[in-house]
Amino acid sequence: MDITFNIGGEAGQGIDTIGDLLSQVFVQAGFYTFTIKDFESRIRGGYNFTQVRVSDRPIHAPVDCIDVIVALSREAVTEQRNNLEEEGVIIFDDTIEFDNLEACHYPAPLERIAKEVGGNVRMMNAAALGAILSVLRFPFKLAEEALNAIFGRKGEAVVASNVAVAKALYDLTTEKFTGTCRYSLDTLEHGPCKDRLLLTGSRALALGAMAANLKWISAYPMSPSTSVFMDIVSYAHDLNIGALQTEDEIASICMAIGASYTGARSMVTTSGGGFSLMVEAVGLSAMAEAPVVIYNAQRPGPSTGLPTRTEQADLLFMAFASQGEFPRIMLAPKDPLEAFDVATRAFNLADKFQIPVMILGDQYFADSVMNIQRIDVSGVKIDRGKLAASGPDPDYKRYLLTKDGISPRAFPGDEGKSVVSSGNVHREDGHITENADIRTKMVAKFMNKLPAIMESLNPPILYGNEGAEITLLTWGSTWGAANEAMQILKDAGVSINQLHFCDLYPLRTEKLRKVLSKSRQIISVEQNVTSQFAQLVKMATGITAHHHINKYDGRPMTARWIVDEIREAGIK
Amino acid sequence: MTTAEQLEGPQKVTWCTGCGNYGILAALKKAVIELDIPVHNLVISSGIGCSGKIPHYIGGLNSFHTLHGRPIPVASGIHLTNSELRVIVHTGDGDCLGEGLGHFVHAARRNVNLAVFIHNNGVMGLTKGQFSPAAPRGYVSNTSPPPPGAPMDPANPVTQAIVAGATYVARGFSGDQKALVELMVGAVNHRGFAVLDILQPCVTWNRQLTWKFYNENTYSLQDNGHDVTNKLSALEKALSSDSKIPIGVFYKVDAPDLASGIALPKDVPLKDHITNLKDVQKIIDDLVL
Repeated sequence: MDITFNIGGEAGQGIDTIGDLLSQVFVQAGFYTFTIKDFESRIRGGYNFTQVRVSDRPIHAPVDCIDVIVALSREAVTEQRNNLEEEGVIIFDDTIEFDNLEACHYPAPLERIAKEVGGNVRMMNAAALGAILSVLRFPFKLAEEALNAIFGRKGEAVVASNVAVAKALYDLTTEKFTGTCRYSLDTLEHGPCKDRLLLTGSRALALGAMAANLKWISAYPMSPSTSVFMDIVSYAHDLNIGALQTEDEIASICMAIGASYTGARSMVTTSGGGFSLMVEAVGLSAMAEAPVVIYNAQRPGPSTGLPTRTEQADLLFMAFASQGEFPRIMLAPKDPLEAFDVATRAFNLADKFQIPVMILGDQYFADSVMNIQRIDVSGVKIDRGKLAASGPDPDYKRYLLTKDGISPRAFPGDEGKSVVSSGNVHREDGHITENADIRTKMVAKFMNKLPAIMESLNPPILYGNEGAEITLLTWGSTWGAANEAMQILKDAGVSINQLHFCDLYPLRTEKLRKVLSKSRQIISVEQNVTSQFAQLVKMATGITAHHHINKYDGRPMTARWIVDEIREAGIK
Repeated sequence: MTTAEQLEGPQKVTWCTGCGNYGILAALKKAVIELDIPVHNLVISSGIGCSGKIPHYIGGLNSFHTLHGRPIPVASGIHLTNSELRVIVHTGDGDCLGEGLGHFVHAARRNVNLAVFIHNNGVMGLTKGQFSPAAPRGYVSNTSPPPPGAPMDPANPVTQAIVAGATYVARGFSGDQKALVELMVGAVNHRGFAVLDILQPCVTWNRQLTWKFYNENTYSLQDNGHDVTNKLSALEKALSSDSKIPIGVFYKVDAPDLASGIALPKDVPLKDHITNLKDVQKIIDDLVL
């Protein structure tokens, strides 16, 4: 079973709530879900959709073909017609004027029943759910159980009215709907999936940061990064996290650097444009060795680009942003589960090496929802790195030269110590200097951190067999679609594997060299036009990818699209 | 008790002979002694320029010499994550009123508890004498358009601060030590955003705003009767086109500061607070269907 639903309409019509309810019902029924959000940069109107994929096997990407469309506007009735499966169904509210009816079209009284039975037009989501489930011949008993669980906390009356509305549309559709659907789920029982935590990449990052003892976050709103900041703000009071919306991104990162200097774990969230403003201060974080975690939810650029859409084109910009040379770490989680882990690691790495650590997400990663296993925080370890011995020390030197380049940290307020930091070249005591010898030693201090940084980073993960003829080279959020494409090709008899990177920079090369040396065709698959990660690999190893698959229309990849690209390029 | 020996500068001063910054440094040291706050609880955040170097000329306390225009946001982060610290910003007119003006206005609006000392000499000294945002109209420099000189009016930090919402706004003069120390102590002890605009001659570049000019053209607000709680009369004094420049406290009121609106823990500084992992687990478990 692998069904895709597309709920389309205008911004503000509540397409998300229908999508959420649908995925919750299937999660309750024991299935894997994967939801993407496609929306325009506007508050009301336009055409937006939520697309929910449901399967009895783990899924990590959307697909192109849709089984059931729910249309809340006239545009939504026609917009996805070409993506509809042969036996697909388009359910739309019968108040929408639409005459070119085909067998796949099903006008349903969603709004009317929501008002009549539920007493509120907002019950349209339950109405749509009833119609969808009936079209699939999904046993209503399972839906009723799910609705009980979903709305149970809101009280019996809410459960009852939702069930009543869904049932009314379910029964009506069973009676009226004459089309066909490629799935008939009347014998369906509970699915195999026990994962009940529905999470976006954004929320997983927020949870990870909070578990990592984040104490300061400052941000300026910018799509698609804002949801991380909003989530943390919503828990700031309960967990005692300092959170401030600032006048601009420069202030955000400077405040976070100030917070870091006092000893608080700090973070900023932004997208490419905001990161552009932050760049000078990234250098300050490096020079003052005041660690900060920077999250960039990438969107298509340059400039304002496509504000609500997805791309992976800030990789090289972030790797080389700022004047001067210094170590930094860049991580790109592939999905929500990995995002939680990446957030907790990012703060430890930042503290351990006293450097800026960057997390690269993108709109697709940030807004997509999937159900994952319950996250257990008991495994989260906090490593603050090297700290100075407590007690007075008039000779304390913030930038003491050590073999590994890392100086023990003390913080202002520590009795008997003076903590002096500077963005200028400084002596061991933090006071500025132009001395050539000290300058050389301080640059070496930065670079001496690199071996241990490399050791702390994770090597890439190989999916499939080592020694396969073709290797898909991927990073970050494109993992899911590429992984599914690899499976499709493998099933078709192609010798193929996937080498995937979460830890991007500095690049660990041992496993990379080992795997790539055995592959005859290396194909980089990236959501950008210049194959930026493949360029990074080439820079670090001299290994050149043979083929490049690039998507830069702002929409996420699907496995089918990748497979088609590979076939069209004649790669065998 | 803090001693003068403790505050002795770790580095040789690089300011020009006769520079107005010497008076500011001397007053700062006297103010720190008078404040009698343990030096480990004092932090200076400075920007870039001649003013930005002051942390290297005073010993014992904590300091962060930051970026051009950015000492206020850095200081805000320091203060909010450890409100036991007293944070003093040293910034110049180029630093604060050029690249940093946006931060200055917003920090005032937030009434964040910082003392901001503006070393105001009307000129970009360290980059060799370009007109600063505080340079008078017509000021001739190597980057102002010839022949008229700077074709714009100067930024007035006192006016800006009062209008933006600062709750302690004063002006001092590097040549009037007694008053300057008093104003510095007042600014640090004030809870809220305290701005002290400090007039200081740049003896190398600025031929207009000299020691002689300031000595002849300043007068004390307090000696001439002024209600510091009246915003409109504070503004009137700040905007006065009178040839004489007022020195002293323009405006001083009590208002809620930013920290009182942030989720700070009651018992420890924010930076020492540890999130209970059980609370995070509960948040996650509440999200599980």
